[in-house]
Amino acid sequence: MDKLLTPDTGLMFWTVVTFLALVFILKKAAWGPLLRAVDEREARLKADREAAEKARADAERIQKDLEARLAGAHARGQEIVSQALKDGELLRGRLKAEAEADAQAIKDKTAAELAAEKNRLVGELRGEVARLSVLAAEKLLRRTVDDDVQKTVLDGFFKDLDASKAERN
Amino acid sequence: MNFENVLAHHLIDHKLFHWQVGPLDLGLSPLILTMWAAAAAAALALTFAARSASAPARLLRAAVEPAALFVRDEIVEPVFGHATSTYLPYFLTLFFFLLACNLFGLVPYASGATANFNVTAAMALCTFLFIQFAGVKEQGLFSYVVHIVPGGVPWWLWPLLFVIEVFGMLAKCISLCIRLFANMLAGHIVSLSFIFLIFIFAQMSHVAAVGVSPAAVGLALFIYLMDVLVSLLQAYIFTMLTALFVGGAVHPH
Repeated sequence: MDKLLTPDTGLMFWTVVTFLALVFILKKAAWGPLLRAVDEREARLKADREAAEKARADAERIQKDLEARLAGAHARGQEIVSQALKDGELLRGRLKAEAEADAQAIKDKTAAELAAEKNRLVGELRGEVARLSVLAAEKLLRRTVDDDVQKTVLDGFFKDLDASKAERN
Repeated sequence: MNFENVLAHHLIDHKLFHWQVGPLDLGLSPLILTMWAAAAAAALALTFAARSASAPARLLRAAVEPAALFVRDEIVEPVFGHATSTYLPYFLTLFFFLLACNLFGLVPYASGATANFNVTAAMALCTFLFIQFAGVKEQGLFSYVVHIVPGGVPWWLWPLLFVIEVFGMLAKCISLCIRLFANMLAGHIVSLSFIFLIFIFAQMSHVAAVGVSPAAVGLALFIYLMDVLVSLLQAYIFTMLTALFVGGAVHPH
């Protein structure tokens, strides 16, 4: 068994030659393609991951943007509704005031017309009464009174009438 | 039956013929042929795995790639950093060559190449030369020789430390040689010893031999399976330590 440690330079030589030959053969034949494939795959995975992360960041940004816009639109909608309510209130108040004013104006106008009509009727009635009275007096007196007398008499009559009216009041 | 003769027959290499070239006897032996077979198998399998696109090649690549990436990311990359790609083919080949030799040594009738002192000494010599090559390549000859001694040493201690460091470097390589050789040899010896138990008992009685054989075969099988693990482990350790030693020469600080 002491031969186990006997130096054998020939065997050492062959070992070194075999190993170095294998280093050069495998470097050309195996490690080049294998490591290139690994590097390519790692680069592809890295690119994929970066693209995915970028897409995710974009999606998050867009979502945030949309949320912000949605919130803005919501606030604006509220504002429009409240503005519309205020406008409606204002419009209602104005219309009501106008309607009241119109009604008042119509009422006033009607009252004025009524008063005017009454005065006219009163005037007409007076004229008719005076004519009838004159006619009656003419018939009574059987004579024609001239226009001046007639006017004098009528004025006196109306004066009495007004005086008696004032007394009654 | 002499156990020592049996062990010698199994573990010691015998030249098939002699071919004297200068001081070297380049005659072939079963061990050299086994080593070539292992190297050829490694070269064919790895080339097939790396280059072919067929389904078996993909399967093989799925097995080889994690090991190769382990060597790259866990052994070579931490030591060499950006210079990884320069040195990676050497370490990958070292790992797979040792692994192939270790595993071929477990095949019945094949010789365990890495259970031979001369083979592991040659591998350690390669590591030693690689340390010098990488150190000179990365630092330049003068800087490399100066940095063999760690910085901050008084000048009068320098010669002494230089000698110690050079011997340390040699010791590291010798330890590499002995570690691989002893680990691989031990597995073979223990396996053979368990099998040989059967014949020792048979010299006492045939019944005892039959009785002891299941235990002996079982234990031998257990050691044999453990040798598969040891094959992987020792290939990894040799590669990792080589990377550490070369790294120490490449980065002196």
